[in-house]
Amino acid sequence: MNSQTERVDTRPVNTRTGKPIGPISQPGYYPGFSTLAQQKFWDAKTREVVLDRVINVPEIRFFSQQEARLLEAICDRILPQDDRDESHKIPIVPQIDRRLYENSHDGYRYEDMPPDREAFQLGLRAVEEIAQHEYRLGFLEIGPREQEEILHSLHHGKPSAGHEIWKQLPIHRFWMLLVSDCADAYYSHPWAWDEIGFGGPAYPRAYMRLERGEAEPWESEEKRYQWKAPDSSVSGVFEPVAGQAEHLGSPGQGGAH
Amino acid sequence: MLGSIQRIESPMRRFSEGEEVDYVIVGVGAGGGVLLQRLARAGFRVIGFDAGPFWDTERDWVSDEKGAHNLYWNDMRITAGEHPLAFGANNSGKGVGGGTVHWASFTPRLHPSDFSIHSTDGVGVDWPIPYSDLKPYYELMELELPVSGPSYYPWGDPHGYPYGPHPMGGVGDALIRGCTNLGIGVSAGGPVAILSGSRANRPHCIYRGFCIQGCKVGAKASTLITHVPDAIENGAEIRPNCMVSRIHVGATRRVTGVSYFDSDGRACFQKAKAVIVAGYSIETPRLLLNSACPGFENGLANSSDCVGRYLMAQAGNVVLGRFEELVRMYKAPPAHALTEEFYETDAKRGFARGFAIQTVGPLPMSFAKQMMVAKGAWGWGLRSVMMDYNHWAAFGFLGEILPNADNRVQLAEEKDRLGIPIAKITFNLYDNDKKLIEFGKNKTMEVMWAAGAQEVVQEARYAHLVGAARMGDNPETSVVDQFGRTHDIANLFLCDGSIMPTQGSANPGLTIMALAARAADYLIREGAAVFKSEERNTQKPPIRRDLSPPDTWGHGMPRI
Ligand SMILES: Cc1cc2nc3c(=O)[nH]c(=O)nc-3n(C[C@H](O)[C@H](O)[C@H](O)COP(=O)(O)OP(=O)(O)OC[C@H]3O[C@@H](n4cnc5c(N)ncnc54)[C@H](O)[C@@H]3O)c2cc1C
Ligand code: SF4
Repeated sequence: MNSQTERVDTRPVNTRTGKPIGPISQPGYYPGFSTLAQQKFWDAKTREVVLDRVINVPEIRFFSQQEARLLEAICDRILPQDDRDESHKIPIVPQIDRRLYENSHDGYRYEDMPPDREAFQLGLRAVEEIAQHEYRLGFLEIGPREQEEILHSLHHGKPSAGHEIWKQLPIHRFWMLLVSDCADAYYSHPWAWDEIGFGGPAYPRAYMRLERGEAEPWESEEKRYQWKAPDSSVSGVFEPVAGQAEHLGSPGQGGAH
Repeated sequence: MLGSIQRIESPMRRFSEGEEVDYVIVGVGAGGGVLLQRLARAGFRVIGFDAGPFWDTERDWVSDEKGAHNLYWNDMRITAGEHPLAFGANNSGKGVGGGTVHWASFTPRLHPSDFSIHSTDGVGVDWPIPYSDLKPYYELMELELPVSGPSYYPWGDPHGYPYGPHPMGGVGDALIRGCTNLGIGVSAGGPVAILSGSRANRPHCIYRGFCIQGCKVGAKASTLITHVPDAIENGAEIRPNCMVSRIHVGATRRVTGVSYFDSDGRACFQKAKAVIVAGYSIETPRLLLNSACPGFENGLANSSDCVGRYLMAQAGNVVLGRFEELVRMYKAPPAHALTEEFYETDAKRGFARGFAIQTVGPLPMSFAKQMMVAKGAWGWGLRSVMMDYNHWAAFGFLGEILPNADNRVQLAEEKDRLGIPIAKITFNLYDNDKKLIEFGKNKTMEVMWAAGAQEVVQEARYAHLVGAARMGDNPETSVVDQFGRTHDIANLFLCDGSIMPTQGSANPGLTIMALAARAADYLIREGAAVFKSEERNTQKPPIRRDLSPPDTWGHGMPRI
């Protein structure tokens, strides 16, 4: 966390109460729902894999300390967790670091992209260059709003600096790589499943209430309220990724036919 | 252990080093698995190589999206072109069972019209065989897997399924509602290769929704559980974790065996009287190209320059709709309802051929990325739309893309860790493809709106690679004949999706298996002639209904 976070409230708001949300252990519309509480109904291997993810947060081995800190600040804006209390924040950077350290990837690379390791290192350098160019400060020294503006410019494919780097690293592909790595780390964590009301593993027990969105007896009903992104944020609105023509290629893949 | 109760009891045969076998099959997936089982049953000495593991489903597979990463072919490939394809989880499996381990298992047949689109629509090419040649093999495969679905399936050549349709999940309900409101027919509860009732050592589906992560239950068919156990029982050897790197050709221009790297990375050679490649539409052409040698400078079986060309993917746009009420699309198999109402050419639309609309059920990680692409979600936007995960339903549009010579697989400069050049794939859409996708995507969105969605977005995507070593009668424009025998080398065969000349808008798995069963009947009828003779008998073989795995007969009675 940097020193300027105090100045703006970076938490989302419950508009019904008008109060900021959190920090709490479990945001979302399913308070009290816990997939981990169901672990005794999972098969042994699934339990082992999921618990390992929760308990054993990998050390940073690929990134330098400096890179890791910078990436953490970036991930804090791409997958903000200001509504989660410290002990319930989902680790993002350690998962990305582990993937790159093990050189694991999805089995393909776009012809115009460098390998993932290089892409991350180049991308981090470019983000730092933009911060210097815009604010004459490091990315870690500027406030969350300014940090978001920089990431927003990547989203739109119009960063104000780092042009030498972007020649080797297509901006929209890097942006998609970054967001999807963050999404993988967050939404593979059982606390995120609790937040969104996903039932999680169901073997050998089965799902039995298939229609009308009905909950299993051990799942929770949705308890909705009016949720609003923090006023200070620009990431709460939906705008198409720049360059997202048909040629973009799609990183979201499983779950299809 | 296969599935929750299936076990392979008999020990597996092991051929000793240096021993010549009748057949080596490279790749035990959809096509290779079925062929291996039949050749073993017919008494041939056969080894199935697979680059990936022999799964113990209980110990190796998980009910977890991220944990399923190792099911896919994750070796590096380079993707290029104006519409670059995604690989890994999007396309191919690695390990015994191949892609059938992680397929959603929609199993529609091709339509009769698919076999002659050049004659009727002036696009693509005709198949060397008509639908009627494949029909009995479709029927056989629908019993062997078996396939669940309605008793009357109205499209293409109307037929019924041996096992009853599955109950609907939230996404199927939405598809039915949308189609019904627009007067479009739907097939509910299938056709899918998922058991709606238990059979022998396989329990029925428990609707856990993790089909694409591998079915731990054993309800969803994969050749790993439907055909491989019977192959082993009948004396086939499977060599898992063995990557075949090269096919060798002898002095008589016949293949003599394969080089491979075993599980310890040791370079080995296996002698064989004939070789069958069944490694998927990328690895099959890659292996043929990498086996270039004096006399075959452009790669094996490539005198036509068609190896690697005419690669096809189906347009697979995912259309997502948000509903006021809850859907919970993670329950039930992702594949459980579809419509083929738009499958055939309709001159009014201004393009040839058509598409299907099917249910899909993305789990959270995939859904997050779909939201990132379809809505541009990141930051708090991503968090908030994900909090609505349970309100969304997803349809998969499945559109026919026509074969084009420039959509192709080549070898890149870069090498993999074994020193084999990696594949580079170039893919572009052409005029008919673009028109078809535009129309089909809009129609799919219209169905989603008609289902009552308040917001509808979509993501472009491509799925199901086939082609890249197509079959045909003319050796100058195709790689193999109608039985999968390469035109150039009499004892080299291909038996996977790569031989398909066109693809229709049916998911390809069932067709690949039906072609494999037909190729098996051919090889069995030809017997030892395959190993010695240059003669090519092009007579259709008799259908062998006695080669099915046990438990095929006497269960489930389709209306045919
Ligand atoms: C998410 C997803 C969902 C799908 N859903 C459906 C569906 O609902 N319906 C449908 O019909 N299809 C579906 N498919 C597609 C289907 O899985 C494939 O079309 C089918 O499996 C292809 O069969 P194949 O025989 O060509 O190759 P595969 O089944 O991929 O088998 C090839 C095998 O060869 C092995 N291999 C390759 N090269 C070598 C080598 N050099 N040495 C040793 N072994 C090698 C591989 O490890 C692999 O096991 C889906 C695919 C995906 C990714
Ligand atoms: S939904 Fe059915 S077929 Fe799919 S993984 Fe679960 S039990 Fe297997």
